[in-house]
Amino acid sequence: MAAIRHLTRSLALAAGMAMLAVGPAGAQNTLKIGVLGVMSGPAASWGLVNRYCAEATAQMVNEQGGVEIDGETYTIEIVSIDDKNDPKLAVSGAERLIHQEDIHYIIGPNVDTTAASIVPVVEAGNAISIPYAFSKQLYTPPRSNSILGMIASYQAGPIIYQYLMENRGVESVAFVARNESDPLNQRDEGVAAAEELGLEVISSEDTYEPGTTDFFPVMSKVVSGEPDLIVLSGAAPADAPLLIRTARELGYEGVLSTETAQDITILNEVAGELANGFISVGGASTPEIRSEYMEQFIEVYEQVAGEWNDEAGTKVYALEMILATLQQAGKDAITDIEKFKAAIPEFSMKNPFVKEDSQLTYVGSAYFEQPRQIGVPMVVTEVHDGEFKTLFVGSVE
Amino acid sequence: MEQIIVNGVVLAANYALIALGLTLIFGILSFLNFAHGQMYMIGGFVVYYVYAIFGMNYFLALLACAMTLFVIGVLFETLFFRRVLRIATREENSMLLAVGTALLLENLALFFFGEKQRGVPPVVTGVYQIFGAYLPAGRLLVLALSALLVVGLLLFVQYTRPGRAMRAVAQDKEVTRLMGVNVDRISAMGFGIGAALAGLAGGLLVTISAINSGIGTAISIKAFIMIMIGGAGVVAGAILGGIVLGFAEAFGYAFMPGSMTYLLIFVGMILFLILRPQGIMGKPWG
Amino acid sequence: MRQALPVSEASLPQLGLTLPRMVALALLALVYLVAIPLYFAQSNYILGVITNASILSFISLGVWVTFAIGRINISQGAFALIGGYTAAILGTRYDVSFWLCLPLAGVVAAAIGTVIGAAILRLRGVYFAMITLSLTEAVRLAFLNGGAFTQGASGIVNIPRPDALSVFGVTIIPAFQGANPMPFYYLAAAVLILGLLAVWRLTTSRLGWVFRSMRQNEELAASIGINVARYRVIAYGFSCAFGGMGGAFIAAFHQNIYPASYSVTDSVYFMLYCFLGGLDFVFGPVVGAFLLVISFELLHDLQQYQALIYGVLMISCILWLPNGILSLSRRRAGPAEENEEPAVAPAAEKMERTP
Repeated sequence: MAAIRHLTRSLALAAGMAMLAVGPAGAQNTLKIGVLGVMSGPAASWGLVNRYCAEATAQMVNEQGGVEIDGETYTIEIVSIDDKNDPKLAVSGAERLIHQEDIHYIIGPNVDTTAASIVPVVEAGNAISIPYAFSKQLYTPPRSNSILGMIASYQAGPIIYQYLMENRGVESVAFVARNESDPLNQRDEGVAAAEELGLEVISSEDTYEPGTTDFFPVMSKVVSGEPDLIVLSGAAPADAPLLIRTARELGYEGVLSTETAQDITILNEVAGELANGFISVGGASTPEIRSEYMEQFIEVYEQVAGEWNDEAGTKVYALEMILATLQQAGKDAITDIEKFKAAIPEFSMKNPFVKEDSQLTYVGSAYFEQPRQIGVPMVVTEVHDGEFKTLFVGSVE
Repeated sequence: MEQIIVNGVVLAANYALIALGLTLIFGILSFLNFAHGQMYMIGGFVVYYVYAIFGMNYFLALLACAMTLFVIGVLFETLFFRRVLRIATREENSMLLAVGTALLLENLALFFFGEKQRGVPPVVTGVYQIFGAYLPAGRLLVLALSALLVVGLLLFVQYTRPGRAMRAVAQDKEVTRLMGVNVDRISAMGFGIGAALAGLAGGLLVTISAINSGIGTAISIKAFIMIMIGGAGVVAGAILGGIVLGFAEAFGYAFMPGSMTYLLIFVGMILFLILRPQGIMGKPWG
Repeated sequence: MRQALPVSEASLPQLGLTLPRMVALALLALVYLVAIPLYFAQSNYILGVITNASILSFISLGVWVTFAIGRINISQGAFALIGGYTAAILGTRYDVSFWLCLPLAGVVAAAIGTVIGAAILRLRGVYFAMITLSLTEAVRLAFLNGGAFTQGASGIVNIPRPDALSVFGVTIIPAFQGANPMPFYYLAAAVLILGLLAVWRLTTSRLGWVFRSMRQNEELAASIGINVARYRVIAYGFSCAFGGMGGAFIAAFHQNIYPASYSVTDSVYFMLYCFLGGLDFVFGPVVGAFLLVISFELLHDLQQYQALIYGVLMISCILWLPNGILSLSRRRAGPAEENEEPAVAPAAEKMERTP
């Protein structure tokens, strides 16, 4: 099944790589883009989705003949490295990409620890990273080489809580977090936001170890506090379905939400109809708002990865933004990131992934004192009958 | 409070099953199967494919899972461990080989099964209430089947010929060989059964807790804790270890943050082992 | 004294410094200290890989010493973590110079190791292995729950690079500038070489013979008057010191440390490096670490097959070279030496196993 798909995918990948090495007729130059993230172990889907998105975009662009920057066409080559969520491996991976492969644009890493560990490497190596980690330190001056690739939990949280307060009568909240740096930070930000909005925080110290397979003990405690809303801080796509199912099996009837991206396939597999009403932050992939280009992307993604993963809805923007900004900044920006940075404040392009007409810019000045975040639309979704339905769309600024 | 006790009982049964296979292998072959967690994981995936993807009967899936892991266990013993145990000059070799097999299984699984977390539709639905605590039907099923398997294993080891041969090998390999027992075949069978138990634990638990290819190490560590507390090589020890860990976790999570619970479990276990190194029921060791 | 101990020739680590061996060592030193840095001066990445391999070998040397007394030590990751945090906290909060942090980290790790070791070293075989494995996890959890002292899951970042080392106003070692990997390369090399010298000296000294006899048969060693409890703790403390110092180095090298920096997997790898190189050889951990670290990087181009091939390599090595890679050099020495060892070992193990 998936084995055969995986095998064909590997062979296709090898063939694709071989083709890229030869190059389609007419394109003389190669533009290498790096992907560094966690691609094995329990959090494997985070880094793998980064990689598959980049490879899918690259394939689509290359099939059109490559990307044109300043009159010259470039074939895109993706070089990816698995850092296994280990800061030591992230450092050696970044060094390899920057010094060995001559890459100046790296998509990733996925968590605070790995993203922070490569900052010295990236700054010394004159490169830009697009992490999916939320720590504000990464994007605030004096740092300027990192660009947040998606919506941060502390940006989505307050908006979601407010909506629930106004529309569902939520008055109290409990938090349960994965016991790791990122999720704990997200939980702390969530608590601060909730308190500011006037919500009663019933409990916020409950955590579970990464790798937990049985959530009954911890959820028993959370549910017993009878909160109106339970926030799953930093829940990995692997954890959320079980957390939801356990809560419902314990008789919990309130709202369950998270501020990270989730995967509808496994939500359905594991939680089934118990997942109805689950609120999360998605990307451009909800059927109502996606454009034709997004549909094409999904097809190519399925070829590359074997099956679709809704997480990709948030991660699809990175490579497109890099390429479009390079086009605006000029081909010198491929090696000189200062030119890239200079193009950031004025940059604007039509969002190719959503139906309605909206512009993509670099945002985040309110949080980081400088625009160091990709202006991904904030699509808050709710699960209904096995699908993500858009609840509302917001934005960071 | 009732919920904590119910949680404890369910956890204890689950964990005991994981520990049983490990203790069986340790008893017969005198080494620690580092790949136990990975075998659990493969068992879960087999059930995922047979039950959820191919849509066959759940019990058929369990049978397939047991058979697959039995074969893997036998293969490992005959191809890898037998040779190493014979020619190595130090006893660490077999353990390190086990580590190598763990790595191999995990990466094979990642390669073939992918990185996504998988779960299966519930085998039975509904939630029961016992003394005010919630007990989902799925967990009750796992509890019942685990208990059945434990009893089955005890009967096997006590009353059947191969079972008694395994106990004999665990007591004294040389004398057993002298009594005409084919120790090689018993060892292979023992490993196969141990692996099958790990796989069955995975196949049962996947119905209530899902699996992905990376959970091997965490499960192995829990298994080690259990047999260290309960005593290695003794079936009763594994069950006791499961009970202790299950309740410790249930109580711990109810009163303090998750990682604190495990820190206390580790510290408690280390202190306990200093006083009684062989665990509650283990064979005395120098 | 030496003649009295019942040890066979074949179980000695390779000690003899014959002329061919000295030439080989000199050549190796030349390549390591001169050729590689010169040739790869522009490649931060390659220098980083070798620095990594060097310091990992150093940490594994510690584990090797515990193997030398017959224990399987899967706790080195815990002491690397302890050393790393010691250096991190002293460096970021109390502005202690790195050159003080490094030995201090070793001392703290050794002290903690001594206390814990005194309690657990009476266990043997798999029991000791399992308890040390639990120790790695327990220490990780302890740092995770260390509250404000260890900053929990967020770890300690912005650890300063080593400053200049000056004595009486004379600068011996200049401050480590920016992202230049060269000073770290030489520091790792120096640490490794000093570590090798220390361990080599240990094995050739009386202490080394004591350790060897304890590994062969602890009861027998005790019966001829060796205070096995004391020597066990000495060996373990020594090992932990190496772990602590290595951890401090890496903390300064990467400028960060988290509870997740060293896990059970890392402890297992340290043990593996020793084993693959050859447990009877002082150079074993070095060979094992360099081989595995470099081959891991070389296999990178194979992407998703990388980890798979890695696992297969490991198993093949264990199957066909169960005594380590360096044992190949011993086989050429002749069958006579080999046959002595098995006679002693099974008898000794038999005595160990009977309750």
